[in-house]
Amino acid sequence: MAKQTFTTGQVLTAAQMTSLQQTAMGGGSTTAKTTSYVLTAADAGTVVQMNAAGATTITVNTALFAAGDSVQIQNIGAGVCTVTAGTATVSTAGSLALTQYEGGTLYFNSTGAALFFDWVQAASASGGMTVISTGTLSSTGVTFSSISGYNNLELHVTGYNLGGGGRLFIRLNGDTGTNYTGGYLRFRDGTASIATGAGSPGQTAQIEVDGGTTPDSGATNSAIIEFPAYATTTGTKLVSALAYDLATYKIPSLNFYSYNGTIGATTSITIVASGGTFSAGTYTLYGVK
Amino acid sequence: MDKITEVNCATGEVTERDLTVDEIAQRKIDTDYEIARAKDIAKAAAAKETLLAKLGITADEANLLLS
Repeated sequence: MAKQTFTTGQVLTAAQMTSLQQTAMGGGSTTAKTTSYVLTAADAGTVVQMNAAGATTITVNTALFAAGDSVQIQNIGAGVCTVTAGTATVSTAGSLALTQYEGGTLYFNSTGAALFFDWVQAASASGGMTVISTGTLSSTGVTFSSISGYNNLELHVTGYNLGGGGRLFIRLNGDTGTNYTGGYLRFRDGTASIATGAGSPGQTAQIEVDGGTTPDSGATNSAIIEFPAYATTTGTKLVSALAYDLATYKIPSLNFYSYNGTIGATTSITIVASGGTFSAGTYTLYGVK
Repeated sequence: MDKITEVNCATGEVTERDLTVDEIAQRKIDTDYEIARAKDIAKAAAAKETLLAKLGITADEANLLLS
């Protein structure tokens, strides 16, 4: 229940007592938010629950809350919700950025100074996979940035189709130089073909699932693309992919490329439509600890 | 105008923007390569068919000879 100012002789209703009990148990009345929100005084003692697909903020300003007030903040949306200091200060030993299903309590030490106690959830154990991002492919592709924090990355691209022809390329660090070398082993209706050498036109790691004279036209393809040890700061980087075509031709392929451009951590990964645009498909990027 | 999606994996922020001039130029290189590649594949397939016809054998028979 939101913070009340009770008066002498006031009679509490059963509903008020039930709500108070709920608040005392660590819950309380919940206000759903779908866009970035600035806390108001009426939020004291309640739960503010964010549910948005994109990134949002919850801003904390001064002169609204009294010392001892608290607000519970939860994020149930896919977009990261960040508790942001507006005119008040917000201190925490944890993180103010709440990923999906994370939350915490904002406790006011004074009217202008809040502490945020985030409910730290168990991190993925070694070998555990975490969904970093998921979405729908469109237009010319998608770039993933700020990807640090894992040992390996695994990208699942499912049911993609390139209207107008073209193939799926992968670029690292936005590098379009001639820094990719590799090839593929592909079976087209049981007939194997092997191609090696620099990625042609030299600027990409190509995920080779189509083999027809009309690249990808009408085909629905999927690929699981791996980026082992992508964050190491020495040595070349590997891109390997197991890809397959679900159209008339059954074309499984194993693709492997090394990237020897920037000898440093891979900081961004781009899915590129080499021609045409993505008319279908979804992606999910996993981090592996 | 072609667009690209950008995902900031730290914040979860997803934005869509127009391609830059450099990205448009690179996309033309990629597309031209795909068109040339498709032509090469078609040309090679046609040459193979012509040769098989000239030899009077099928593709399976040609594979048998090479096995």
